[in-house]
Amino acid sequence: MRIEKLLHKLRAFFDGDNRKKRQHIEELKKILLKLKKKERKITHALQQTDDEYLKKHYQTELEIIRVQRKKGIEVLQQLKERKQGD
Amino acid sequence: MHKALLLIVILLLSYGFWLSDAFKGIAAGVSIFLFGMLSLEQGFKAFTGGVLERILQKTTDTSWKSFGFGFLSATLMQSSGLVSVITVSFLSAGLLDLVAGIGIIFGSNLGTTTGAWLIAGLGLKVNIATYAMPLLVFGVLCIFQNGKQLKGIGYILTGLGFLLLGIHYMKDSFEHFESTINLANYAMAGVRGLLTYTAVGIIATIIMQSSHATMLLTITAVSVHQITYDNALALVIGANIGTTVTAIIASFGANIQGKRLAGAHLLINLCTGIFVLFFIKEFSIAVDIISVNLGIAVSDKAMKLATFHSLFNLAGIVIFFPFINQQVIFLEKILIEKRPDIFKPKYLGSSAMDFPETVVESVRLESIHLYENAIHIIVHTFGLHKQDLTKNDSLKQLIEQNTQPIEYDIDVGYEKRIKGIYSAIIAFISQAGFTWEMAQSAKLSWLREANKHLVEAIKETKHLQKNWTRFRTSNNQDTINEYNKIAYQIVLHIRQIEHFRQGIEDNELPLLSLDALKASIKNDDLQMNRVIETLIREQKITPETGSSLINDSAYMYNIKKNLLKAAETLFLHSAGHAGIEHQLTLNEAEINHVVQTMDSQ
Repeated sequence: MRIEKLLHKLRAFFDGDNRKKRQHIEELKKILLKLKKKERKITHALQQTDDEYLKKHYQTELEIIRVQRKKGIEVLQQLKERKQGD
Repeated sequence: MHKALLLIVILLLSYGFWLSDAFKGIAAGVSIFLFGMLSLEQGFKAFTGGVLERILQKTTDTSWKSFGFGFLSATLMQSSGLVSVITVSFLSAGLLDLVAGIGIIFGSNLGTTTGAWLIAGLGLKVNIATYAMPLLVFGVLCIFQNGKQLKGIGYILTGLGFLLLGIHYMKDSFEHFESTINLANYAMAGVRGLLTYTAVGIIATIIMQSSHATMLLTITAVSVHQITYDNALALVIGANIGTTVTAIIASFGANIQGKRLAGAHLLINLCTGIFVLFFIKEFSIAVDIISVNLGIAVSDKAMKLATFHSLFNLAGIVIFFPFINQQVIFLEKILIEKRPDIFKPKYLGSSAMDFPETVVESVRLESIHLYENAIHIIVHTFGLHKQDLTKNDSLKQLIEQNTQPIEYDIDVGYEKRIKGIYSAIIAFISQAGFTWEMAQSAKLSWLREANKHLVEAIKETKHLQKNWTRFRTSNNQDTINEYNKIAYQIVLHIRQIEHFRQGIEDNELPLLSLDALKASIKNDDLQMNRVIETLIREQKITPETGSSLINDSAYMYNIKKNLLKAAETLFLHSAGHAGIEHQLTLNEAEINHVVQTMDSQ
């Protein structure tokens, strides 16, 4: 049983398509992380500014990032599901 | 240096005004005259693209027709100087070319000689200055009308009125000079007399601003035998040269074409004068023969002078008229147009044409060059500098605190920084377009679009500038605030594009940053319109100011949109950014949804 599992892992490792999917997931995770960092940075800038116009702009930017992250998480889940299905 | 010179001139003029009333009158006359020129030009511009161009085209499309036009106008107006002044205006407004202009000058030279016939024959001098007052009244009346063409007519009439009034002032102020020119005291014989009297004729005409006045003096003097007939001939030659000074003064306020025409007038009349001086005896004999044939009495020196005036102008036409094109070439060589330091393309060398990739990259780099120049123009329009974008200073404060008048000429900026480069890019793309494969063609097509967006952004800025300059000094603080807000939002948007550009280099999810900028543009537009509506409803601004603000906020929206579209094409060129990041970008509907959600909060 252990050998079977090992063989499965080896096959997955040498399977180019699978590797691509994994890379894709990793890159997506990195982007989501960057978006998270950006979100924090903008939240900080929003707290710092007194300029009403800039506040509105930062709020819009935060809302956009929120939607982008939501979209990213959905894509990530789909990729993970597809990978598991393989 | 320029300002220092201006100060010196002002001081000198002030000293002159203090010293002499006559000098004050002359200077005022010159100023009124030049103002008339400007008004005439403005009037003619109102007709460009319409009736006047068609009339002028039809009446001046050949040299002979131009000649006829000049002859008729000068005969009717009784002033070759005035015809040449108007022609200088036509040329400056781009309604005529130099060849046609010179044709008119030839015609007016002959047309004005009818005045000598009138003076000598009827003793009548047409005093054009008497037309000034009604022209001014009718002109101003027309200017106050709504129609563009009526306004144009108004400016033309007012311009003519001011021209005549200017001449009138000059003449009036020189009255005591005129009384001191007693020709009888200076009779001279031989070549010396010829040259001296030609010079006197030139100077007298320059001073009196009218060859008719000199002719009148000369004809009167010769008829009462105060001067010899030979001296009178020289005076007429001098008057013909001196009359060109009117066009020369007018050309100070004209463009290079106007200056060339004034140069042509001087050249033609001077050369004709010199030619006639050389052959004065032959001309004298010819006048005698013609006079006999016309039935003019041998003793009627006045009529003979009129014959001489016509004859020598006719001789000038016969000799120089066939060489109009050569004159144009000569004038274009000696009077070279000073162009502003025009920005030239940096990357569009012929070597870049060798490979499709180099073509695309050089066009992209050149387009970025154009982008930088476009930003320069937009930022300067709002009284800022490009360095302000990179500083940490609050752009809002910089705009609000700047209460100085801002007089940035976008047209000059466009000519200098955009036109040359933009044309070069378009020419470069069209030259290369035929030989490439689809991928490069598509990229070039996007780049061309990006350039178009930049030019559009500048045009929108020009539209916006008018009200921005007008309303930023308004008495209504709400209006000032809204216009400052427009300027602030535009320059802040440019600063954000610079951040986006920096984000590409640092790989800080540039593609995703674009969504936020797109949403902000929409959101700003929504908010701005809402604020304007509230201000109108609460009667804090008038509906007229409100409608201007609505239009200008639309310009702001378009400027930002065009700049962002250009930046997207120019800076996001590498395919590396478009991979997974692209999956997370929002489409139009998603962005609109975010904006609506934000708006409802």
